[in-house]
This record gives sequence, structure tokens and C-alpha cells, in this order.
Amino acid sequence: MTRDRMLTLGALAAGLLFLSPVLYSIWMSFQTANAYYTGTLDFTLRNYAVSIGDYGFARYLMNSIIVSGLVTIAGLAMATMAAFAFARWTFRGGNLLFAAVVATLMIPSHITLIPNYLTLARVGLLDTYAGLILPAISNGFAAFFLRQYIRGIPRALDEAAYMDGATPLQVLWRVIVPVARPAILSMGLFIFISEWNNYIWPLVAVSDQDLYTLQIGLARLYKLNPGEGSIDWPLVMAASTLTILPVLLGFLLVERHLVRGITMGAVK
Amino acid sequence: MSAIQLTDIVKSYAHGPQVLHGVSMDIRDGEFAVIVGPSGCGKSTLLRLIAGLEQVSGGDITIGGQRANDMAPQDRDIAMIFQNYALYPHMTVRQNIAFGLELRRVPRAVRTARAEEVAAMLRLTPYLDRKPGALSGGQRQRVAMGRAMARDTTTFLMDEPLSNLDNALRTEMRTEIKELHGKLKATIVYVTHDQTEALSLADRVAVMKDGHLQQFDTPEAIYDRPANRFVAGFLGQPAMNFALARDLPGLRAPGDSIAGLRPEALSLHGTAPGGPALRARVTLSEMTGSGVILHCDTDAGRMTAVTPRHALPPDPGALWLGFDPARVHLFDAATGTRRPAPAAQPHTANLSA
Ligand SMILES: Nc1ncnc2c1ncn2[C@@H]1O[C@H](COP(=O)(O)OP(=O)(O)O)[C@@H](O)[C@H]1O
Ligand SMILES: [Mg+2]
Repeated sequence: MTRDRMLTLGALAAGLLFLSPVLYSIWMSFQTANAYYTGTLDFTLRNYAVSIGDYGFARYLMNSIIVSGLVTIAGLAMATMAAFAFARWTFRGGNLLFAAVVATLMIPSHITLIPNYLTLARVGLLDTYAGLILPAISNGFAAFFLRQYIRGIPRALDEAAYMDGATPLQVLWRVIVPVARPAILSMGLFIFISEWNNYIWPLVAVSDQDLYTLQIGLARLYKLNPGEGSIDWPLVMAASTLTILPVLLGFLLVERHLVRGITMGAVK
Repeated sequence: MSAIQLTDIVKSYAHGPQVLHGVSMDIRDGEFAVIVGPSGCGKSTLLRLIAGLEQVSGGDITIGGQRANDMAPQDRDIAMIFQNYALYPHMTVRQNIAFGLELRRVPRAVRTARAEEVAAMLRLTPYLDRKPGALSGGQRQRVAMGRAMARDTTTFLMDEPLSNLDNALRTEMRTEIKELHGKLKATIVYVTHDQTEALSLADRVAVMKDGHLQQFDTPEAIYDRPANRFVAGFLGQPAMNFALARDLPGLRAPGDSIAGLRPEALSLHGTAPGGPALRARVTLSEMTGSGVILHCDTDAGRMTAVTPRHALPPDPGALWLGFDPARVHLFDAATGTRRPAPAAQPHTANLSA
């Protein structure tokens, strides 16, 4: 056996190992509860029908897409503009401000949980989409990461654009953003997935069931049948599959651009 | 109207030393002005001040009769070509060239036509749909030129635009830039550290050193009447020979003068000529193609002379370098400033024989 083939087989095995829990849960989501507990085989789409129909997962899916999507778009916009300012302008207090941005990276999110809750309660934004979205928009890590990337872009590009007649916003939008696209897309993916998996904040900020995100809905599935003494695992797995599927699809869509962006940067 | 007036321009960078110490220049409308000087003397800084990419620390900039000190670069209506071209890597050649027009809301059809016209002028038509990453150095340079030319402006700033090109291409582009200036009737401020480029391109040359303007005049005047010893030594290839004036025969000059003699002002003789001359011994000769550069030891120190190959004296061990005292430049030994041309001493034969 050649070395190459052994490497390929090894990689395949490792891939399967990582994939196995996901594949297992997808497989389980097509079983009936009865078949699962008795150890027989079955095939049904009922779990999907039930999670969507009886437990409102369609609604949760929509909420998750709205919240994560808007957090990603607004967060990226904020972080990109902040990064551009920090990378390209010197202004009074700029360094102090940037230090403050970096400092936010060192604060565990649980510490801000209660102050954020109290603030939103006071302005009456609990149980709204805005309450879910607003606290997540300011993202110190994204601002820091993008600033570092933009600093690596030659300033002469900005200057050429200014000479061509661009305003600062045009320089940002027409030159910096396209050149920094791989970094911005990677950051966007990162923000989207973090927000998609966010559990604790939606849990405290929302009690109206119509505003539940997928993670909250998923957790509720356990709690909903406590009396029965056993959990309907195939149903939970169907809901989990609904939860990971959009992220997986999204990743496959963006991934192509990420790779292209990375090689484009390498040869320049 | 795009005359540029610089009045007592001072520039110091934050946390840095002063870079420009009161530079005044009056660049006429339609003039090709070349700023030349050694690396680090402040040429780029001066250009960036005109562009508006840096703020002056003192003095005034007037462009087309309008005070421009506080104008943003995008409002100055100036096109600039950067040393490393600074092409937009995500845009095609066509988009790069048309970007300035797009920002000025020129309709798409018009700007595309304009980009293609400019590209044709610069022989870039086959590359219109390529991105800068897929172009050679010379092609990138031409795109940078095209981007400036497509703009409807009459003021161009160029910061060492040819310094990244190989020799043949540089000579070719030099000719093209000169022709372009004739065609566009534009005001061009061109920065270079290459004195050949400066002399061949300029209507007027500004020589700078350490943030001070040394002289701003026509290439002929700069070459024939350099304002000081630095200018005299900086322009000319091979460089001017310097010697103590009192060591040169047949010269009437104040005792503390430095005399400057261009290599081409020295004539070679196998035997002592009639006029003033220095006895010389060749230590090294360099072939330049059509001619030879001779490095000689003389009584007045080392001298460089040039001669066509066929005129080489038979015995390089012993020859005479003759000169016309009227072609000797004199400089103050202490300050280096130019002194009035020397007079030949009457009735002196060749003394140093
Ligand atoms: N942004 C800057 N900050 C501080 N010093 C600078 C800056 N830009 C240039 N300088 C300094 O100014 C001097 C002149 O630079 P420059 O104008 O680029 O010279 P040149 O183009 O003639 O080589 C140099 O000593 C350089 O180190
Ligand atoms: Mg420079």
C-alpha cells in the first residue's frame, strides 16, 4: 500500500469518526420512539412533522434565522466601520478607545448578562426581536480581528482612491471591503454560528414562545414530557437535525468563497 | 488653469524630525516639473502635500489660483501615480481605469468608452478584463498611467513611476511620458532620484537636499550654471570633478574656491597642449560603448574624463588633460555656493609642466 493511500484512508477514518455522532442522530431522527426503545428498525418522517407541527419548530427556525442573520449583518457592519476607523485614522483618544475594545474580549459574557437584562427591562425591550439582537451587535473580537486585517492592506490603495475622488465611506465600501472580503466572510460565518448556538441570552431575554429560537425550543423538548419518565429521543434528534441543517448549508455556500479568498491573498 | 504655487512649505511629521524646511516653488500651468534629489530628502513628502495626502505644518499651497491647504485630496482634482502603482487588486484593468470617472458619476457608456480609448493609447486593450495580479510590471505601470489619464484633469503627480521597471522599459516609458505631456498639455510634477530622468523629462528641474530646495531651473541652466556644489555634483554622468582652484593652472580665482570641471570639458592630449592643462595618469578606464570613461590621477587630485574610443591617446600612462578656464565652475569652499565664473589669467603659459 502506498503512503498516499494510507494517508487517504486515515483521513477518511478520522472524518467518519467526527461525523459519526451527527450521522447517528440523523439516522435516529427517522426512527419511531417505539422502535428506538425496543431496538428494532423502522422508518418514519413523523418526528419532523411533530417537531414542526406540534412543537413550533418552523417558527423557532424562522426566529433563529432572523436573529442570527440580523446580528451577523449589523455586527459585521459595525465591526467593519470600527476596524476601518481604528486602522486608518489617528484621533484624540483613539488608542484608549481601541484598548477598551480589546478589553471587552477579556470580560466573560456571563458577567454582562444581568446588567444587559436590567437595561433591556428598563427600556422595555424584553420579549422583542430587538432585545435578542441589540446586545449581540457590538462585537469587540470582530472589530479587533478586522482592524488587524485592514492594517495589512497597503494604505496606498486608500490614497489612490482618494485621489480618484472617493470619500472615506466610498474608500471603505469600494476598496477596503472587497479587498478584505475573505476576512469579513470568515468573521461573518463565525458570528453567525456563535449567535445560532447562543442559548443563555435568548433564555433570559424572551419568555414569549413566539420568539423562541431553535436552541430554546430544543431544550424545551426535554422538559415537555417529564411525566412520561422517558424522553422521546428520536423526536429530539429530528429537532436537532433541523437545528444544524441550516448552518451546514450556509457553511457549504460560503466555504467556496473563503478558500478562494485565502488563495487570492496568498499570491498577491 | 492648474499652476501650483508652494510658498515656504514646512513639514514635520508627528513624533518625527522636520522634513521640509521652507520650500517655495512656482510651477507654471502646463509645465513638466521634475523634483530630484537623493533618497530621503523629502521629495515624496512634497508631492503628498500637493496631493493633500498630508497636511502642511507651515506655508501655503495654491492650486489653480485657489488656496488648497485645507482641501481634501478628492476635492483637488489631481491625478497621482504611485511608486508601487497601488492598483485596486479586485478590479479589472477596465474598472481600475474607469474608477475615477465612476466616482464622479460619469455615465457607464461614457466611462467605458473613455477607459477603452486610454487603454488603446497605452497598448492595454488585450488586458482590459484582467486583474492587476495577472499583469507584468510594465503593464501594471501603464494601468497606473491609464487610471490617471482617464480622469478629466490637467494636473498629474508622479512619484518615481518608473523606478520598478527594468532599464529598457524605463527608457521607453520615459519617452511615452514626455510625449503624453505634449499631448495632454498637463501640469506634471514628477519625482525621481534619477538625474538622467530628471534632465531628459523636465521643463524645469527642482533639486532638493535634506528638505531644502537647492535650485529650480531649466535642465540647461541647472547643468551649465549649478547654484552650488551639491547641484553641480548631483547632476551629470559621470559626475563633475572637483579640485582646489589654486591647484588648477591658468585660473584666476579667490584662494578658497573649489573648482568644478565637467568630464566632457576636459580634452585629452598626448603632449602638453597650448592652453592650461593638467598632467595625468590613467588608473582605470571604463568602456561605455561609444566612448570610454578615464579615471586619472593628476596634480590636482583624481579626475574623470570622457573620450570617444577612437580618440584614446596612445600612452595612457602619461597624458595631458586640457581645459578652458571659462568652462570652470567656481564654488565657495565653505558654503558651496556658486561664485562668478573665473577669468583666465592673461599671458600665462602652461605652468605645471
Ligand atoms: N509618515 C512619516 N512619518 C515620519 N517620518 C516620515 C514619514 N514619511 C516620511 N518620513 C521621513 O521624511 C523624510 C523624507 O521622506 P520622503 O519624502 O519619503 O523622501 P524621498 O521621497 O525624497 O525619498 C525621511 O527621512 C522619512 O524617514
Ligand atoms: Mg520617495
